[in-house]
Amino acid sequence: MFTFLRVHHLMTGMQLRGFAVVIGLLLLWELSVRTGAVRSESWPAISTILHALAGGFRTEGWGAVFGSSLYRMTAGFLLAAVVGISLGLLLGASERLHRIVNPTLEIVRVLPGPALIPPLIFLLGVDDALKIAVIAIAAVFPILLNTIAGVKAADPVHLLVARTFRVPRRRVLLEIQLPSALPYVFAGCRISLGIALIVTVVTEMLAGSAGVGYYIVSMQYAMRASEMYAAIILLSAIGYLINRLFLAVEQRSIRWAHRVEAHV
Amino acid sequence: MSELLQVRRVAKTFDAREGQVVALRSIDLTVLKGEFVSIVGPSGCGKSTLLQIIAGLVPASSGEVLLEGRAVVAPPEGVVYLFQQYSRSLMPWLTVEKNVQFGLQNAAPERCAHFLDMVGLADFRARYPWELSGGMQQRVAIARALAAEPRVLLLDEPFSSVDALTRLDLNGLIMDLWTRTGITILLVTHDVEEAVYLSDRVALLTRRPAEVAQVFPNALPRPRSPVDSREDSRFLALRHELLTRLLQPA
Amino acid sequence: MTGRLKALAPGLAFIAFWIAALEIAARAGWVNRVFSPYPSEIAARMGQVLGSPAFLEALGSTVGLLAAGYLLACAAGILLGLAMGYHRPTYTLFEPTLELLRPIPKPALLPPLILLLGLGAAMKIAIIFLGALFPVLINTIQGARTVDPVLVDVARTFRRGSLRTVFQVILPASLPLILAGMRVSLGLGLILVILSEMLTGSDGLGAKLVDAQRAFRVQEMYAWTVVLAALGLALALSFDALERRLIFWSSKR
Repeated sequence: MFTFLRVHHLMTGMQLRGFAVVIGLLLLWELSVRTGAVRSESWPAISTILHALAGGFRTEGWGAVFGSSLYRMTAGFLLAAVVGISLGLLLGASERLHRIVNPTLEIVRVLPGPALIPPLIFLLGVDDALKIAVIAIAAVFPILLNTIAGVKAADPVHLLVARTFRVPRRRVLLEIQLPSALPYVFAGCRISLGIALIVTVVTEMLAGSAGVGYYIVSMQYAMRASEMYAAIILLSAIGYLINRLFLAVEQRSIRWAHRVEAHV
Repeated sequence: MSELLQVRRVAKTFDAREGQVVALRSIDLTVLKGEFVSIVGPSGCGKSTLLQIIAGLVPASSGEVLLEGRAVVAPPEGVVYLFQQYSRSLMPWLTVEKNVQFGLQNAAPERCAHFLDMVGLADFRARYPWELSGGMQQRVAIARALAAEPRVLLLDEPFSSVDALTRLDLNGLIMDLWTRTGITILLVTHDVEEAVYLSDRVALLTRRPAEVAQVFPNALPRPRSPVDSREDSRFLALRHELLTRLLQPA
Repeated sequence: MTGRLKALAPGLAFIAFWIAALEIAARAGWVNRVFSPYPSEIAARMGQVLGSPAFLEALGSTVGLLAAGYLLACAAGILLGLAMGYHRPTYTLFEPTLELLRPIPKPALLPPLILLLGLGAAMKIAIIFLGALFPVLINTIQGARTVDPVLVDVARTFRRGSLRTVFQVILPASLPLILAGMRVSLGLGLILVILSEMLTGSDGLGAKLVDAQRAFRVQEMYAWTVVLAALGLALALSFDALERRLIFWSSKR
C-alpha cells in the first residue's frame, strides 16, 4: 500500500502528461497498423512485436541469442579494462611515455570502428577472436583516457605527502595515483560497457554467425519484422539494466569520492 | 645542545607571469637539537616556502640547508613536514589507522596505534578522514608524522584553520608530544601568541623579500600552562615586542 | 608552430617506427605478405585510389550524407534541447519519451530502417539523424539547465523576452556543453554512415572498403582504411579548431 502511495505522490500533473505522450505514441503506432493506415510488412503492430518477444522467452530462444553476445561483450570489455587501466596508469604517471604514444592513440580513436573490421578479418579470421579484438579496441578508449585523466588528477598535496615520507615510486603509483583515479576509472568503465555492447552487435552484423547483431540482420533478410523489433527492444532493455547495475556498483565502491565532494 | 639544523644564506626566487619574484632574499637560522623554534612574519613573506626548502620539498635558488652537517637536497630521512591543508593531506580512501601507517615502509600497526592513542584518537581507528572534524583530522596528520619517528618536525601553520578553542587544545597536544618525545620542532605560524606560548625561540621574518629580522629568545619558564602562562609578564613582553614589530608599516 | 611540431616529434617517430617495422616484416617474409599490411604496397594503392574519380564520388557520398544527417540532428537537437532545458513543462512532457528512446543502440536500428526506407540516401540520412540527435540533445538540455542563474536574472532585469533570453544568453552560455555533444555526435554519425555503407554495399567509402575486402584486394582494402582514418582525423581536427574559435572565453578549456 505504501508503494502505491509513494508512486501516487511522485506523479504530478505535469509528469503524468509526459507519460501520456509515451502511451499516446504507442497507441498511435498500434492503431496505424490495426486500422490499415500503414500497410507494410516492415511495420508490425506493437502487439505483434510483444507477442514475438514473449515467444522468445517461452522457447528460450533469447537465451541462446543474447548469451552468445553477452559472452563476447564481457570478454572484450574485460580485455579493454585490463589494458586500459594498466596502460592508463603508466601513461598518466609518465608524461614522456604519454607524449610518445599519444598521436597513435588519437588516430586509432578517431578511426570509425566498423572500418577496422575488414582488415582485422584478414588478420584474425571471422571467429570470436576477431569480434573480441574489435570490441576491446573500441571499448579501451574511455577507460584509457579516463584513467590517464584520473591519475593526473591526483591531489598534488597527496604527492607532496608521499615525498615528505620518502615513499617509493611504485607505492605512489599504486597507493595514491590508482585510488585517486578510481572514480574516473569507474566512469570510464561504465561508458566502455555501453560501447562494448553496441560494438558486439555491430561486429555480429558485419561478420557474424551468432548473437544479437546476426539475429537482427537475419530477421531483416527474412523480413520477419516482429522478431527483429523484439530483439531490438530486448537489447535496449538489457543495455539499460547493465548501465544501472554498474552505476549501483560504482556508487557503493567509491563512497569516499562522493563524501569528499560533499565535505569540501 | 648540538646544532641540528643550519640554514645558510638561503634565497628563493620564483618565476611568475609578471616576472621574477624574490620570496626569500637571504635566510640564516640555526636550530639546536631538541629545540622548539617558531618562525613568524607578515603574511605572504615566504614562511611556508622557507619551511618547504628545509623539508627538501622545494629547492633553494641559492644557499644551503644542512641537517647534521649534511646538505638537504631532497626530503631527508628523519624530517617530516606537516601540511597546512591537513584535510587535503589525508587520503580519503584510507581509514584513520591506514593513514597513520602510510608514511612507514613497514606497517608497524602497534607503533601507529600507540601514536594514535597519544593524540587521543584511539577510538577512531576505523573511521574515515571525512567523518572527522577539522581538529581531529589534524591530529591524525600529527600522529602520522610522529609514527615515522622523525628527528625534526616541520609544522606549516598547522592550526590556522581550526577554531580558537581547538587551537588551544592542539597547542597543548603539540607541547605535550614535544616534551615526551624530545624531537626538534620548527613551527611556522602567523599567530604570535601561539609562537610565544610554544617555543624556545622566535624568529621574526621581514616582509618579502624576506630575511631574518631578529631571533628572540623566550624567557617564559617551562612547564607552561594554557591560561596562566599566557598571563605571565614574560609572555606579554615578548608578545608585545613581536606584535609591535609586525604591525609596523613597511 | 615549431613548438607544436617538437611536441609531436616523439609521437610521430613512434608511428614511423611501426610503419618501418611492418615494411621490413613484409619484405623479409616474416609475415604473410598478402594478408598483412605492406606499407609500400598500401601507399601505391592509395595513389591509385586517390587519383580515381570513384574516390571523389565515394567521398562525396559519405561526407554529403553525413553532413545532411548531422546538421539536421544538430539543429533539431539544439532547438528541442534549448526548449526542454529552459522551459520546465516542455521538459517533463518529453522526458519519458527521451528516456525510453535513449537506451536503444542506434546501429541496431539499421536493419529496421533498411526494411522501411531501402538501401539509399534516405535510410542513411535517417540513421545518422537518429544517432547524432541524442548526444546533442542531451548535452543541450544539460547545458541549458545549468546556466548560471545570475546570467538569466541579468537578462530578466533588462526585460529581455523569453525568446531573446534563450538565444542571447542560454545558447552562448551552454555552448561548451553543446559543442561537446556535437563532437560525440560527429564521431557517432561517421560510424553510422560507414556502417550503413558497409551493410548495404552501395555508395560511399565504407562500401569501397568491403568491396576490396570481398574481392581479396587486401592492400587496397588497407588503403581505404587509411583513407577512413584520415577522414576521421580531419573531421576531429576541424571540429577542434572550430571549437577553439567559438569558445575562446570558456575557462573549462
